[in-house]
Amino acid sequence: MTPRLSLYLPGDTPLHRARADWKLSVLLLAGIGVFLVRSPAVLGPCAGLAAVALLSVRTPPRQLARHLTGPFVVLALVPAAAAVFQSAATAVTVGLRLCTLLLAALAVTLTTRTSDILDVLERALRPLERTRLVNAAAVGLAVSLALRFIPEAFHRFHDIREAQAARGLSGSPVALLVPLAVRMLKSAEDIAAAVDARCYPPPAARHTERGGAAAAPPPARSPAPAGRKDEEATG
Amino acid sequence: MRVTLDAVTVRFGSRAVLQDLTLELSEPRIGLIGANGSGKSTLARLLNGLVLPGEGTVRVDGLDTAEDARAIRKRVGFVFQNPDNQIVLPIVREDLAFGLKNTGVPRREIPERVERQLAHFGIAHLADRPSHALSGGEKQLVALAAVLVMRPELVVLDEPTTLLDLRNRNVIRAAVAALPQQAVVVTHDLDLLTGYDRVLVLDEGRVVHDGKPRIAVPWYVEHCS
Amino acid sequence: MTSSHTPRRRAARRRMETKDVVLIALFCAIIVVLGLVPPVDLGVAGVPITLQTLGVMLAGAVLGPVRGALACALVVLLTIAGLPVLAGGRGGFGVVPGPTGGYLLGWIPGAFVTGLLVTVLATRPRSRPARQAATVVACLVGGILVVYALGVPWTSVSTGLSLRQSTVTALYFLPGDAFKAVVAGLVAQNVRQAYPIERR
Repeated sequence: MTPRLSLYLPGDTPLHRARADWKLSVLLLAGIGVFLVRSPAVLGPCAGLAAVALLSVRTPPRQLARHLTGPFVVLALVPAAAAVFQSAATAVTVGLRLCTLLLAALAVTLTTRTSDILDVLERALRPLERTRLVNAAAVGLAVSLALRFIPEAFHRFHDIREAQAARGLSGSPVALLVPLAVRMLKSAEDIAAAVDARCYPPPAARHTERGGAAAAPPPARSPAPAGRKDEEATG
Repeated sequence: MRVTLDAVTVRFGSRAVLQDLTLELSEPRIGLIGANGSGKSTLARLLNGLVLPGEGTVRVDGLDTAEDARAIRKRVGFVFQNPDNQIVLPIVREDLAFGLKNTGVPRREIPERVERQLAHFGIAHLADRPSHALSGGEKQLVALAAVLVMRPELVVLDEPTTLLDLRNRNVIRAAVAALPQQAVVVTHDLDLLTGYDRVLVLDEGRVVHDGKPRIAVPWYVEHCS
Repeated sequence: MTSSHTPRRRAARRRMETKDVVLIALFCAIIVVLGLVPPVDLGVAGVPITLQTLGVMLAGAVLGPVRGALACALVVLLTIAGLPVLAGGRGGFGVVPGPTGGYLLGWIPGAFVTGLLVTVLATRPRSRPARQAATVVACLVGGILVVYALGVPWTSVSTGLSLRQSTVTALYFLPGDAFKAVVAGLVAQNVRQAYPIERR
């Protein structure tokens, strides 16, 4: 019993073939754009376009229905609330805005591989690297590690829950979460050592040169060569 | 490769884990044995700069681990005890490629080297599996493959069989025995050491015996258990 | 093995080390898992709630402000990347402009403030109950006040509701979140006692 970790739906529709960076840029611009206009005459066609895009993905109906339940609740509740508290006109505007965004975002999410989206995000972060606030290699590693250890954390959670249930402690979030967090903290040391042992970071981004394992105190007598040290990024 | 430890002391807090150790390791097969807490894992971690000495120096083919850890790690592979924590990427294929990317292997060469390494271990069918879905034995094989794909000259293994069941233990034993590389193996599994060139027995941070396994292993059994 | 750091580490701008990246990723995993596991029925106002936001407060309280905030930022990144990492399997770009997008983004400063307050308030007092109380206060302020401060106006922009109406909707979740803040405070204090790590 492991969570499925991607919403991507393999296929060969025009949206599948479109470049990930284009899809994400359009989505971002649409996200800003729809909040700049109020007129249903503009928003209506936008929502229609988003719906057409989503239909072009040819999602199996049952799967599509499952994906749409979340957005549908939002789409039903929000305009309803707007109609009650504000006016019918606001309800229409808000409804069309959300409709455009949620459907278009779902269309992009379904047709773009997670790895492609992450590539685009990494490229988008790259200009920020010069500011020394972002380290693309570290971001890439963090994403990969998270994907690797989400299922692991899930298993550990269930193991702990079973063990606690056996001891009659079921239902106490404190009794569940303390061991989970402690176990994850303990394995962090090993995982970091395993990452370092395989020569992380890659040569192109030696920002965290010699990010030794926590067990390794940096020797006061042998600091890293000055040239490298100047490149070190901060968190 | 020749690893030399010169008057090495390692402290964690106020406790000395290794005390004034001077050693030269160059034999093809070296075993490290000793009770829990005797310092053998720390000694293993000194060999690729995962732990740096508080006093003294560790040199690998003349390179100081405190200064050239990166260059050393490229040549000294390390296999950890717990396979759950050493596979760091979500898909087996990606995990094998991790070390290669980090060492600057040209991108187009990576897939072929990964395939070949997996095939060599007879686990080519695992290439696209998610790492978390592997069995314990498969995980340890993948971890070993991920180290060997980097073509290290020396492989350090820290209790590679401790957390495995008997069948998987035999699989890993065979894989370790077949390594063409020089290997330093930390273990509680005394059978693993048959045919080794040298066995070091550690106790409370010191080497208390150093010799051929047929003498060192019985010595350890007699004195330390 | 326990880590031992030399005093040199006290430098104000310390670099990111591999272990920090690992801790960020692992707490991101914890936050995700707390959203995936079946909701715990806490019996507060009869609303079944997931423990996901508890993970957010925990990240700040255990890891400290910088790493805690980055763990939350990583969850946001995975969400945007289309992974169903939010409670109930939600994910995808659409979450951000949606009515709850502000709460999601609010996790980042929320965890930061939680971590900061734990550092300032909860490391000084000698007595255990006082530290405990301080950690709970940190979780309440960071995990609720800060998160809502971003979430409420965002809902208002996204849905056209007035600020006041958005605040009323938020109040519906307040009892559950307050309960989670208390639990997070207790958990964080226990974790830090069982496994102290250097705070950042």
